Order: sequence, then C-alpha cells, then structure tokens
Amino acid sequence: MATQRETDVTARTDRETFEEVDWDTQEVSTFNVSRTAVAELLAYGAIVVLFAYDYAVIRNEHPLIANWDVLSVEWLFVATLVAVFFHGVVPLYRNPRMREFYWSRFVKNRVAVAALVYLLVVFVIGIVGPAVMSPPETRFTNRIVPPVGITATVGGVVKTGTWQFPLGTTAEGKGVLKLIVYGMRVSMEVGLIGTVFTVLIGSVVGSLAALATALDIGWLDEVLMRYVDVQSVFPTFMLLLLLTYLFGSELWMIILLFGFFSWEGIARTVRGEALQRSSEAYVTAARASGASMLYIVQRHLIPNSANSIVIGATVAIPGFILGEASLAFLGFSDPTTFSWGRTISAGQSNLATAWWISTFPGIFLFFTVLSFYYVGEAMRDAMDPRQQIEGGGGL
Amino acid sequence: MKWYILKRVLWTFVAMWIALTLTFGLISASPNPGQMRATMSCAAVGENPQECREQFRERNNLDQPVTERYKNYMVNMVTLNWGWSESRSQYVIPAILDAWRFTAQYAIPVLVISTLVGYGLGLYSAYKPYTVTDYTASFVGFFGISIPNFWFALVLIILLGTRVELVPTYYQSGIPIQQGWLSLANLRQLILPVTVLLTASLAWQMRYSRAQALEQMNAEFVKVAKAKGASQYRLMIWHVLRMAAVPLSTSFVGSLLAIFWSGSVIIEQIFAIPGLGLMTYTAIVEQDTPLVLATTLVTVFLAIFGNLLEDIAYVILDPRIDYGNR
Repeated sequence: MATQRETDVTARTDRETFEEVDWDTQEVSTFNVSRTAVAELLAYGAIVVLFAYDYAVIRNEHPLIANWDVLSVEWLFVATLVAVFFHGVVPLYRNPRMREFYWSRFVKNRVAVAALVYLLVVFVIGIVGPAVMSPPETRFTNRIVPPVGITATVGGVVKTGTWQFPLGTTAEGKGVLKLIVYGMRVSMEVGLIGTVFTVLIGSVVGSLAALATALDIGWLDEVLMRYVDVQSVFPTFMLLLLLTYLFGSELWMIILLFGFFSWEGIARTVRGEALQRSSEAYVTAARASGASMLYIVQRHLIPNSANSIVIGATVAIPGFILGEASLAFLGFSDPTTFSWGRTISAGQSNLATAWWISTFPGIFLFFTVLSFYYVGEAMRDAMDPRQQIEGGGGL
Repeated sequence: MKWYILKRVLWTFVAMWIALTLTFGLISASPNPGQMRATMSCAAVGENPQECREQFRERNNLDQPVTERYKNYMVNMVTLNWGWSESRSQYVIPAILDAWRFTAQYAIPVLVISTLVGYGLGLYSAYKPYTVTDYTASFVGFFGISIPNFWFALVLIILLGTRVELVPTYYQSGIPIQQGWLSLANLRQLILPVTVLLTASLAWQMRYSRAQALEQMNAEFVKVAKAKGASQYRLMIWHVLRMAAVPLSTSFVGSLLAIFWSGSVIIEQIFAIPGLGLMTYTAIVEQDTPLVLATTLVTVFLAIFGNLLEDIAYVILDPRIDYGNR
C-alpha cells in the first residue's frame, strides 16, 4: 500500500507543479500501522478467537490446553501481559539509549533493585507455581498443622510440623504454602490487569479532555472533568462492597470494577500534561495536516505524557492489590479464588492457637506492596529529569 | 472570590442531587432482596409466589411508575425520612446517630494526630532531604502505607492481645456507656484500633507533605524570603507550609475518607466496634437496603462537603489563584 502511494505521488509530481494540484482530490490517510502494532492486534485477535472457541465450542467439557482450563480472569491476564509486552518491553528494547539512561538512574536505589528482584520472583512463581502444583484441597485430616519444626498445642493435641506442610495448614487442612503460591498469581493478576484498564481509560479520557480544550470544545472537557470529580468523590470502597455483593464477586469482576472506578487520578494527571502539550507547535502542525482527534491523542498526547502515566500506574498496582486483599478479607470474594486476603481472614478465628495461618500470607502481601511502592519511587526518580539522584535513595 | 464560593456551594447541591439520583438508579436496577425473600417465604408455605410478589410490590410502592417512585424517594431523602432498618429493627436516622460516636471516638484522634505529626515529619524531611532522618522517615512512611491494616491488626492482636494480654483483643461497647467515653477502660480498648489506623494515615500525610514541601523549597518566593533574612522557622512555617498546604488539603479530605470507609469497615469488623463501618458491613451482608442506602449517602455527602471545604481553603491559602473568571 505505502509503496504504491509513494509511486503515485512521484508520478504525479512529474506532471504537475504544486499550484496545479487539486488538493480536494488528494487523500492522505492518517491511518498508519506499524509492524509491531499489527503483531499486537494479531495477538489480541488470537486471544479473542481462543476465548470464543473455549466458550462456544468446548463449553468447559475439557481443558483448553493440555490440562489448563483457562479461567475468565486468566484470559484478561494473558491480554494484559501482551499489552505490557508491546507497550513496555518492546519500546525499551528498541531504544537502548533510553533504557540505559533510566537503568543507570534506577540502580542507584539499591533497595528498589532488591524489590524489583523480589517482584520478579513472585511473578514467575505466581505464573509457574499453579501450573505445576495441584490446587489446595480441603482435608479435615490435616486440620491446623503447625509449620515445620514448630510444636503447638491445637485443641488439646500437641502437634509438630513436618516437611509435608512447610508453613502449616489452615483449619480446613489446606497447606499455607500452596495458598501463598496461588495467592501470588491472584495478586499479580489484580495489580496488573486493574492497572492496564486504569491506564487505558484514564489516559484516553485525560487527553481527550485536554484536546477538547485545545480545540475549543470546552463543554466536552467540562463534562468529562465534572464526571471525574463526581467519581473521585464517590467512596469507591463502599461502591465496590455494594457492587460485588449485588452482582457477584468473581475475581475478573472485582478487577474490572477496580479498573473502571479508579482512573480519575491518571485522567487528571494526563489532562494536565496534555494541556501543556496540546498548545505546542507539533500538535498545531498535526491538526493543520488534517490529523483526526484520535490520531493526535494516540500519537502525540499519550506518548508525551508517558512518564506521568507510568508513575501513576506504579502507585495504582499496590493500591489494587491491597484493595482486593481487603475485599477478600471481608469475605467479598469468590471462595474458589485463593486470595491472600482470604487466607488471612481464615486465620482470624484461630489467632490464639494457630498464628501461622494469618501471619505468613500477610508477610508476602506486605512485602509485595512495599516492593511495588519502592520500585515506583525509584522509577519516578529515574524518570524525573529535575531530580538529582544520590546514592541510597529512599533508605 | 465571593462569586466563586457561591458557585461552589451551588455545585455542592448539584453534586448531592446527582449522588441521590445515581443511588436511586443503582437500587432500582439491582435485584430487590426483600422481594426475593417475600416470594421465597410464600413458596415455602405453599402460597402462590406470584401473588405474594404482587403484594410485596404493592406494600413497598414498587408497582408505581418510576417517576412517581423517584419523586417519593427524593421527598423522603430531603425530609430525612430515610426508612426502617429491618436488620436493626430501628429507624435509619437513629441508627446512624447511635453508631457515629463509636466511629468518631477513634477517627477524630487519628485524624488530628496524623495531620499534626505527619505534616511535622514531612516538613522536617523536606527541610533536610537525603539525611539519615529523612531516610528513616521515608522508610517509616513506606512501611505505613504498605502494611495491610487488617493484617497489622491481627498481628498486633496476636502479639499484644493473646501473648502478653496487654490490651483487650476486641471492643466492648458496654464500657463507654457504663463508664464514660473518656474512661481509662475505654481508652485502653481503643489503643489497638487507633494504632492500626494511625500507621497508614500518618504515613500518607507524611509522604504527601514531604513531596509538596520539596516542590516549594526551591520556589522563587522562598529564595526571596531567605535573601531578606527570614529565620528558618519563619521560612518553613510561613512560606513553605502555607503554600504546601494548598494541595495538601486534598490529602486531608482524602485521608479522612480513607479512614472513614475502607479503614473503618475493616477495623470495626475486626475489633467489633459498633460504629458506622460495622453498620455498613452488616447492612450489606444482611441486604438491608435502607441502611445500605443511608450509609452510602452519609459517606458521599461527607465527601462532597469535604471537597467544598477544600476548595474554599484553596482560595484562602493561595493568593495567586484567580477565580475571577470561573
């Protein structure tokens, strides 16, 4: 297509001078798709096709791939990983100068590097673990076994933990270690999927609002931002409690609710950033060349606000993980979802005798959230050119 | 400025109306638990469920057209006729009046302490950035915002409640009524809830105020004040704090709401404090629609009112903001 148009243009310029061209007949398409974008779209297409196949043809009669029966939330997670790959990994790989610059600033914060390593480990175990381990099962013969090497009196019986359950078991006889491994996947799913939705909606709304101001469609900006005001005032946690109770509490629903009701912060930041950008010459130039609103948003406004979007996203991830754990702790989650919050709440009734049930998942939850905050802080320092980075950073 | 404030107050009413309408829409769109219960209990004793359903709808005016119901709902809300709570066998307004004191007794101290100490530490950190004190404060801040408050509460109960038996592990609501709200026994049982909530809100306020103050530290007006020989104390309090307080008032309202909602539901559920949070929780679990409605609206109104105060504070604190054209 592109080459053909180029030859057309050359052929024409041979015949006509600039003044002779009838510009009304000229069509310049702003629809410009790169090879990565095609690959990305193909990946999403493949996911949708597989999902449709799984949903309509197999109908849960047998697992889709080998013995992996893909759950609704896992479809979303795969799509999220594709999005992260194409919008995070690929640009970083393509731009070694930017990558090395950010990395050299990032590594100055040693704690953040350790936090990043921890998060990668949790991520990998969360992906691989549930694939190779059978899910935790209710076994009343294994009720409340202490962690390995620890002796405790449970209900008048003295028990010592063994290697069969390294971190002990719950009152239902589920191994705490298994619950933690399964919880890793849940937490990563919640944090990443929720954030991708938040970033998507927030950046589109924010840049649309900014562009509307720049294009003198003030009412659109007003409507969008007033809605953002209303949403930011509405007590999200209450709303989530209410909605999960009314419409079900499956994990994918909780995640989508988080995503749909927490984008106002990113929308505000992006709007502020984009408002500065949209008065700049390159946006005027793009508009003069007939670029559509969507094109300007996608090509100019969002990439130029990327830094603040990334910073907003890194703060959103731990917030979602904590939020989901809190909901699960209060019992507003699907019993088949092995959330850390649920395990912590399962230990609440046996606090005096079986301290390990609540303690261990909580430690993992705490360090995961802490690590995300540390990584986010270090990323902000690395990306903010005004920031002078000194050794130690943060600790 | 007067016009701006007037407009802002008018917007508050519009926002309240929007919130009321949205809640009405949500309640109408969702399945009615009372109706399902009525139908089911009829089916259980062998009556015609369809008939019972009609009766229930008639009794609760659900057979009226939506516009009529909306009008009644709005009139009831404005005249504070918020309905009857099935789960508490009580009118909703007295139920809220009973519960709010139990929440306020810990929420207000947490708010005051976290604001004063949080701002103080934040300003101090910003005043001496990249020192040991700053790093320590920053670590404490990260600790506070990362630790899940429900887990922290359980760990404190294990350590201080069941191991050492230093503090009670749950709240006894009879104590403040028999011995007074400020009695030693009541204060003792509030130690754990206050500690848990304080870690999170203190950390937020501290991190926020540090970031804001750092932004202001290099501003021109601070340099001018320094050049004119302002003392360090005057510089920090009069110039930096005042300007940093403008965006900080956002975090004030935000943290108030965070404490009130996600925090209070969790804390009150763990310690069995019969406040607004526990009331919200039980209302949702027992599907007590009028009570759910009331607790949601109380939160929303508080938030709207908080935002109003915050915007007025903006105008008063920052002389540079020009509201002439808004």
